[in-house]
Amino acid sequence: MISTDILVWVSALLTLCIFSFLYKDNPFYRFAEHLFVGTSAGYFIALSWYNNVYPNLYVPLFHEGKIGFVIPLVLGILYITRFIPKISFLIRIPIAFLLGWGSGVAIPAGLQTDIIKQIQGTLLVPNAFLKWNTGLWVSIIFLGVVSTLIYFFFSHERRGVIKPLANIGIIFIMLGFGASFGYTVMARISLLIGRLHFLLGPWLGIIR
Amino acid sequence: MNIVEKLSKIPRQIIFLVMAAAIIIPLITPIGMPVNEMPKTRKLFEAIESLTIESKPILVSCDFDPQSMPELYPMLQAVLSHCFTKNIKVLVMALWPQGAGMGEMALDTLSKVFNKKNGEDYVFLGYKVGGAAVILGLGDKIKNVFPMDYYNKSLDSLILTQNLVNFNDISLIVSLSAGDPGYRTWLYYGQSKYGVRVGTGVTAVSAADAYPYLDSGQLVGLFAGMKGAAEYETILNRYKYRLIDRLATKAMDPQSFGHLVIMLFIIIGNVSFFMLGRKK
Repeated sequence: MISTDILVWVSALLTLCIFSFLYKDNPFYRFAEHLFVGTSAGYFIALSWYNNVYPNLYVPLFHEGKIGFVIPLVLGILYITRFIPKISFLIRIPIAFLLGWGSGVAIPAGLQTDIIKQIQGTLLVPNAFLKWNTGLWVSIIFLGVVSTLIYFFFSHERRGVIKPLANIGIIFIMLGFGASFGYTVMARISLLIGRLHFLLGPWLGIIR
Repeated sequence: MNIVEKLSKIPRQIIFLVMAAAIIIPLITPIGMPVNEMPKTRKLFEAIESLTIESKPILVSCDFDPQSMPELYPMLQAVLSHCFTKNIKVLVMALWPQGAGMGEMALDTLSKVFNKKNGEDYVFLGYKVGGAAVILGLGDKIKNVFPMDYYNKSLDSLILTQNLVNFNDISLIVSLSAGDPGYRTWLYYGQSKYGVRVGTGVTAVSAADAYPYLDSGQLVGLFAGMKGAAEYETILNRYKYRLIDRLATKAMDPQSFGHLVIMLFIIIGNVSFFMLGRKK
């Protein structure tokens, strides 16, 4: 049975407005697009205030009198100087603070997660060869990593043993692109299914 | 204009219509195509399955928004159903602002179905901005980051969280991730720094990027897109777990037909391209 819920109708009509872009650009699409951007921004601002600024800055500083919270308040306000040309240079202070903190935190974590652990995962350890299939897969992964790295090694002319290895690297890179593209297609179809399921189910009541 | 030239110039509106038909018809008249279970999905199922009522709580992080709902919301429902059926305690939080809405919606529905109490069987922590800073803070002291739950109740006053300190009191983290911050943030700052076990459910777009972390053992398991959710639902169904809906499994027929249509158009495009190219 077709829905009698006004919110379901609003949602369905906005979905159709967005889908209308598939035919060509039109005012209905632009209306839904602008509404989405505005609503998202408003939602995010309200949520940020009530979940972050109010409990983490306003309450400690103004209700509990924790004077140390003046520092993040000032750093936050300095971001707004971006809009005042005469003192816009002050924005460098919070950016420098954030970059310094961010790099300090991210670099060791990135090295550990993406370099050390990944190298450990690529090493050919004897245990991996106890079964023929795991041995085969770790060998393929090892070959893939080495040949792909060689492909991106531009400081040496590609000849001798480097050339075939770099060509094998291209095959692995293409396989990676193919897998990513296949998964991307799958994701987009999933999103379409989600919307069509909503239109046919909760809105029109054709499917359960 | 011969047939090859016509095929090379199919209007995009026709392609969209064919695609819509390929999705809508199997949705209305499903044929129930089988869903095969991949090892990566099975690993995460087993990681949750190995937990018991005495285990430390599991932390589910809703790191997605409504745009990724078709892929990740079925995973959230299935993970919560799995935990609630096994009486595993659950903490739910979000690193994305709109993820809080997703978590609350799922908990509202499933807590009634499974008769679970807020504060005893599950706690909803809500959203906190910061990504990396939030995870580092949780690893140090959870109550510093979340002194209150989403409904402004002190964590000290809730049975489930009163003795909770840090990641040592969490058995497993499941990040349902649509981007950044997401599963990689949990790996960077949770798994690498604190050694907490992390599993993830990701959108299909980012699935290929997640595989290296699975092979290296950094992730305990992986749900990849809607297909991953369908595999997980299928496993739960085989083990007779109660599911309020099998959203992802129902979507596998249209998903398969959609893929067939895309493949068909890729073949048509390539064949006509090469035939016309030779003519020229």
